[in-house]
Amino acid sequence: MTVSVGRSVVRQDADPKVRGQAVFGVDFELSGSLHAVLVRSPIASGRIRSVETSSAAAVPGVRLVATAADAPRILSGLALADQPLFAGDVVRYEGEPIAAVVADTVTIARAAAARVVVDIEPLPVVASLSAAVAPGAPLVHADWSTYRPSPGLPDWPRHDNVVGEMRFDSGGVDDVFATADIVIEDVYTADRQYQAYLEPKSATAVYEAGRYTIHAAHQYHFNLRDRTAAALGILPSRVRVIGHHMGGGFGAKLDVGLEPYAALLARLAGAPVKMVNDRVEDLLSCNSRENAIIRVRSGVTRNGRILAREFLVDMDAGAYAGDTVFLTSIPLFVAEGPYSVDRTRVVARALYTNTAPTGAFRGVSGAYLYFALERHTDNLANALGMDRRDFRIRNAIDAGHTMLNGQVLEDSDLLRSAFDAIDEVAPWETLGRGPNRGVGIAATVWLTNPMPGAVTLRLEPDGSLGVVTGAAEIGTGAVALGVRQVAAEELGIDPDLVVLTMPDTDAHAYDGGAQGSRTTHIVGRAVQHAAAGLRERIFGQAAKLLDSGADELEITDGRVRMVSDPQRSVTLGQIAGAAMFDGGPIISSGSYATPAPKHDPDAATGLLFSTFPTPTYHVHVAEVEVDPVTGSVTVLRYLVAQEVGRAINPAGVMGQIQGGVTQGLGYALWETLQIGDDGRYRQRSLEAYKLPIALDVPRVEAILLEHPADAGPYGAKGVAEPPIVPVAAAIANAVADATGGSIVRLPITPDDVLNALESSKE
Amino acid sequence: MEFTSAASVEEATALLVEYGTAAQILAGGTDLMLQQARGEISADVLIHIGRIPGLVGITGNGSVRIGPLTTHRSLFRSRLVLTTAPALAEAAATVGGWQTQAVGTIGGNVCNASPAADTAAPLLVAGASFELTGPRGTRTVIGDSFFIGRRQTARATDEILTAIVLPHHPERTGDAYLKVGRRSAMEVAVVGLAVRIALDIDGTVEGARIAACSVAPAPLRIAEAEEILQGSRLESEAIAAAGEALTRAVSPIDDARATAAYRTRVLPGLLARALGVAAARAERGVG
Amino acid sequence: MSAVTFTVNGRIVTLDADGADTLLTVLRDRLGLTGTKEGCAEGECGACTVLVDGVPVDSCILNVHAVAGSDVLTIEGLATSDGRLSPIQQAFVDNFSVQCGFCTPGFLMTLTALIADTPTPEEVTIRSALSGNLCRCTGYSTIVDAVMAATGQTERS
Repeated sequence: MTVSVGRSVVRQDADPKVRGQAVFGVDFELSGSLHAVLVRSPIASGRIRSVETSSAAAVPGVRLVATAADAPRILSGLALADQPLFAGDVVRYEGEPIAAVVADTVTIARAAAARVVVDIEPLPVVASLSAAVAPGAPLVHADWSTYRPSPGLPDWPRHDNVVGEMRFDSGGVDDVFATADIVIEDVYTADRQYQAYLEPKSATAVYEAGRYTIHAAHQYHFNLRDRTAAALGILPSRVRVIGHHMGGGFGAKLDVGLEPYAALLARLAGAPVKMVNDRVEDLLSCNSRENAIIRVRSGVTRNGRILAREFLVDMDAGAYAGDTVFLTSIPLFVAEGPYSVDRTRVVARALYTNTAPTGAFRGVSGAYLYFALERHTDNLANALGMDRRDFRIRNAIDAGHTMLNGQVLEDSDLLRSAFDAIDEVAPWETLGRGPNRGVGIAATVWLTNPMPGAVTLRLEPDGSLGVVTGAAEIGTGAVALGVRQVAAEELGIDPDLVVLTMPDTDAHAYDGGAQGSRTTHIVGRAVQHAAAGLRERIFGQAAKLLDSGADELEITDGRVRMVSDPQRSVTLGQIAGAAMFDGGPIISSGSYATPAPKHDPDAATGLLFSTFPTPTYHVHVAEVEVDPVTGSVTVLRYLVAQEVGRAINPAGVMGQIQGGVTQGLGYALWETLQIGDDGRYRQRSLEAYKLPIALDVPRVEAILLEHPADAGPYGAKGVAEPPIVPVAAAIANAVADATGGSIVRLPITPDDVLNALESSKE
Repeated sequence: MEFTSAASVEEATALLVEYGTAAQILAGGTDLMLQQARGEISADVLIHIGRIPGLVGITGNGSVRIGPLTTHRSLFRSRLVLTTAPALAEAAATVGGWQTQAVGTIGGNVCNASPAADTAAPLLVAGASFELTGPRGTRTVIGDSFFIGRRQTARATDEILTAIVLPHHPERTGDAYLKVGRRSAMEVAVVGLAVRIALDIDGTVEGARIAACSVAPAPLRIAEAEEILQGSRLESEAIAAAGEALTRAVSPIDDARATAAYRTRVLPGLLARALGVAAARAERGVG
Repeated sequence: MSAVTFTVNGRIVTLDADGADTLLTVLRDRLGLTGTKEGCAEGECGACTVLVDGVPVDSCILNVHAVAGSDVLTIEGLATSDGRLSPIQQAFVDNFSVQCGFCTPGFLMTLTALIADTPTPEEVTIRSALSGNLCRCTGYSTIVDAVMAATGQTERS
């Protein structure tokens, strides 16, 4: 009988949010704040001839206009130090900051920014992946060879416009291809996806006594601290980051955005500085999910075994390496996916182009890699005359599967239970029947980010439990529900008695950020470690109060009582009060990071992250209907079977599944950032960038599979990221089934549907 | 920028004369305020006409008279519009979401004259006429002469649209409006198609009107396709031929929403669907 | 600049505003009512939704002078004067309809108008009424659940 774990407890921060009282980054005001606006490059590639700021500086109410000359001459970046704060000599993408205006109000700042005159001589634009590697391609970074990785990172293979390259070869691949009965080769492409969080990026910064304080709405406050410090050339301890409510991030707010600018300008202006993106500039400058080209080739036997695979991926880093260069490692873990393959070759490259630097969006490269893999898997099944579901189950990995990095998945047989679970609810043969209807299936293995976290628990004399952690609550409920409920369970108290904090990098130990579904898992484990220490002190103090041995006591329902004489009890609050002058306040801390699983870090060259920790297993099924006149796609039904280990809060988990699938539907059907030959986006506002609306989104039918993992708090694994990963794959497979034709790119346009219908009639 | 609210049509036109091109007319503002924020237009004065009495509402006495300040939401909730010109109601119900429909006006929609204006095609097939009032008095412009180019109408800069009049339709007529977009709502029309069919007693097409938006710089009627349907019994060959004529008569462009090729290829199937709905309404005597 | 008078959450307000000022910037920057959000400033996302004389509008594209004499209701005006949440607010809390919460005020305003207009709306009516309100976190189903609960349409189980 649990107090909290497994229950759909309501979150405490819902109340201020429904009242409109929650203060988000864009709402936060420091008295005396000035407002700053960035002057951004209007073109994708050029040499800056001059920046004339005097007309802007003369506008009444303007405090200063800053350019590259006012910033430290430093290049920095998450993986590679290749990016300046302000473009100095050249601009490399539309939207790149060139200058900043600080003024009394945002209206004055914007008016003055329009008066900054930038003279840029246009240079050739590298606008596409193919252009980036074409012979004689212009170099996006002429000085690429002088760049160094961020401190602590060993260098990796890179040259010219290839900013990262990962290569894996199991050996004997070509020989095995030669022996295959059937060889199928496919090429897939995917456009960019904009995270489109409802709250645009913002930052408020103050500079005082040699330190910067940044008020942020962010996912990864410690990274924000470290990256701002790197950009300004100072120690991280000179920067303090304080978190506020964040209106969505989905990966875009893991790295710095406006914060280093606000910090620099606050120092230059001698006053707090606030910055808020308007939606258009936010869209244009955002570190969106990268566009990519994926080539998949498989050799199979007539009875359905996959002998050989070649998986070649080119991903667009944009103008700076950002974190996309890390993502060149992901194809190593998706090339086989959840299937057994004998011999594999994987090559993944990240390429520079003159476009906005790309970055993390829920599921990262997995969203398009699984689209490619699962479309290809359908093609293999069809070529063999096998049912698409049967083919997958036939080749599904079993327990003890060894991944390409040498890591052994102990529990990979859980994948089969995901296939079974959906079939019980919606048998495969019953789906996709009828004119213009189709069904698609996709299976996925995904990971839980292993980055470290920590927590301090404080027992208070009023019986409340302070959970003090730098973990970010970004809306998923990972802290507001997950961590809180684990803490409540550990102490046997009502979760309403838990008090949570906003992250503060001065007050909290390091946390690896809200990413990769890690928070409940990692910080939950840290809570369990801390709780063990807390219980020791509790029992020690209670033993004195109850005149018993500490081992004769139990905690239940907010009290400690003698097991043999339950009437003799004392409340947790009384214990905390008594302890104040007998040892001091009752606190206990815990830290955790996922231990690296055994693997071969040299399995591939250019491998920037080499493990796939705490894996989870997923099967998605989609049923669609296509309109033969307009080519539009209606999603009739969407089913998810997800292995979660243990659902700490089932409603919270369902919320992540419904939300993640919805983002995946947008990726599959409606959202796109198309890049013109000039390197500029064709979609430039929310009218053109089409987010899913309520009418078009079905209720996801989700089955939560709970096989508690030893590593997780109460067996819980990461749940929030994976729901988006298989969606485009399932939808595309369903549309291909409905039309009888081929679907090879994301998003699926109405034209693609009509073409597929036409081609299947021939 | 100055904001001034006109209390009457006379006051509004006097202000237009006074300020000339330095002024913009503000009704609901769902287009204007957006263009203003994007810097697409610049005005020194906004002449607010939203409070002028007598410009709101729908009255019917044979013909149907629609005040220009009638919101889209009022249009699609009007029994009169639903029974005499359901295509217009269908179009109004697709202009953005509730927030836009409750504030945006039909007058704004037609005077702004976006190539994608949803209400334009249903009005054209209804044979609507547009009453314009200015310092020189009141005049009426027939729909076919009203939309003259991209964001250009027959309205002179010192005139206000004061009414849209739909002529009386005989029994056995029906109309329909179909809109193509990526999502089910909130779409600027990729293609919008309106048809109106009049059937005689034995099912022969007595009159056919076809209009489209987002396939040319302005919303337009396509006479070539209408003529093919005239006198037919809506056989599939006639409909196919009309669809073919439709695709040849339009000049869509590639833009961020769709390609010209897509806009063209959906037209024949869309026409067939729209004719099916309109014909059924004509048989039932609704619309 | 010229004067405009209207009521906000029952309180009469008079202020000077530029002829092109939007209701949203006045609410947030002049009246300190930051519960209403700017998500796009182009009338697409609905985060700025308030009620003007009971009608849901995108305040980011509504000229403030156009609300002269009208009653404006914002998210701050939904709860009772002694702080009790309205039924739809409480239903959002109880039904996991809130994740990041940035879109929440806009949704609550549109839904307040919907429930007043249609006391027991069907699911498709709810989803259609919410076309102009974007949520990036929840995928909408728990928002629909909240409306069903607030309008007494959830089956007792």
